[in-house]
Amino acid sequence: MAVKPQREVVVLGVGLHPFGRFPEKDLTQLAQQAVVEALKDASVGWNTVQIAYFGHVYYQGMSLGEATLRGLGLTGIPIVNVENACSSGSTAFWQAYWGIATGLYDLALAFGAEKVPKGPVAVTAEDSPERLIGADHMMAGYALRARRYMEEYNAPSEALAQVSVKAHDNAALNPYAQYNKTFTLAEVLESRPIADPLTLYQCCPTSEGGSAAVLCARDAIKNFAPDNGRHVTVAAAALATGTYSVRGADHPALNPYRKEASDQAYEMSELGPEDVDIVQVHDAATIGEVQQLEALGIVPRGEGWVATQTGRTRISGDIPTNTDGGLLAMGHPFGASGIRMIHEIVTQLRGEAGPRQVKDPKVGLAHCSGAGDVTTIHILKK
Amino acid sequence: MSEKKRIPVVPSRLKLLNEEGTEGVLLGVRCRRCGEHFFGSVVFCQNCTSGDLGPVELSNHGTLYSYTIVRRPPDGWRGNVPYILGQVELPEGPHVLSEVVDCPLEGLKVGMALELALLVGGEDAEGNEIVVYKWRQAKP
Ligand SMILES: [Zn+2]
Repeated sequence: MAVKPQREVVVLGVGLHPFGRFPEKDLTQLAQQAVVEALKDASVGWNTVQIAYFGHVYYQGMSLGEATLRGLGLTGIPIVNVENACSSGSTAFWQAYWGIATGLYDLALAFGAEKVPKGPVAVTAEDSPERLIGADHMMAGYALRARRYMEEYNAPSEALAQVSVKAHDNAALNPYAQYNKTFTLAEVLESRPIADPLTLYQCCPTSEGGSAAVLCARDAIKNFAPDNGRHVTVAAAALATGTYSVRGADHPALNPYRKEASDQAYEMSELGPEDVDIVQVHDAATIGEVQQLEALGIVPRGEGWVATQTGRTRISGDIPTNTDGGLLAMGHPFGASGIRMIHEIVTQLRGEAGPRQVKDPKVGLAHCSGAGDVTTIHILKK
Repeated sequence: MSEKKRIPVVPSRLKLLNEEGTEGVLLGVRCRRCGEHFFGSVVFCQNCTSGDLGPVELSNHGTLYSYTIVRRPPDGWRGNVPYILGQVELPEGPHVLSEVVDCPLEGLKVGMALELALLVGGEDAEGNEIVVYKWRQAKP
């Protein structure tokens, strides 16, 4: 790690706009509600925020961060729009963290929002030759990984489907989730095929929603907010892109294992995978959760599917994963998802998660990935 | 009016060897420093970042690394629905993603041998037919 944090950073407050479909609202309304909730949760006045980073992906107008925050009052602060695919929100959080950790700012806002259009998600523009080749299809990409994973490790398709059963069980306990309906294993397996072996309920929905977090230097909290005992420490903030991998099981097209990011995050926090009490990982499809738990070293390589089948990843298990429903059932408004994960970990570490509360967690890890081989990892602790 | 032609979908990845576009070769580059091969064009070696790269012709066959059946493609796809999307590993190393044609679903198997198939996949604005590299089961 080239740059070292100069001081400790905490999350003062978090906020969400519910995930789902909101045809009557535009993107800035979703974002603004999340920001207002986060400021309220932090007991921070908008006019004290020194910088804001906004994560979003789809083009729905220019300078949308500015358009969102304009409604709260024109304070003249720098506002930065961030696009890093599905990691846009967590990249905004990462920037806010480092802005404070390096001493440039004391109080920062990170927020994200999205209105994802309906239909299959592609990475390239519509006139790209990849469309004609038929190779650009986000869920097909996950399906290729799933098929190869099943071959490599003898994983049954039921084990992948079980990830979705668990996700929907968790989301049913979450009033902010897009889906509050539970499914049986058979219902997941028999839902409409999208890209074999993935069925509809094994792929995240297209979603709308917003999320926000207020970050502050620990040594400056007293200047901005009351000490209410609800602050959560950011123990690590890592962002990495892909390096060249050899063929076979490490091929990046199969396995976007980004060990660089987890190595950085564990080194920075002086914590290891064995210390993590609660995990949010990028489960855009069921296979994503399984592989990322392995990539993070939380379960051994090739055994992620076993952890799911034996219930270890449930709220009651020893590695509770995607406790709010994850991308699969909470929903996946790209720019909002990264900070949504932070929101859930902060809520759990505070002991405020209600019916989906994990028993006394001390350390939480949020992992987000994005097209372009982006990986962001944040570790938070009490 | 100029005559309609058959043109390769991405000229840095596919060279056509006849006017009908039925014969062709996959193109790539080879790094002279570390020896890695890449499909299509790269400016610097993705492995060692060397700029000392040379053009190569890649094999027209490979093995099926993974596959899926796409039931609902994104906009821009002009072919059959559903279609088989194959991830094919060339002997030189690069993976090439494209449709697998003329293969029954029950015949698909990771590791199976495939060979290049050149088929018209669409038209450009001038009415030229765009030839796309695809895969089919290798003849025994
Ligand atoms: Zn090289």
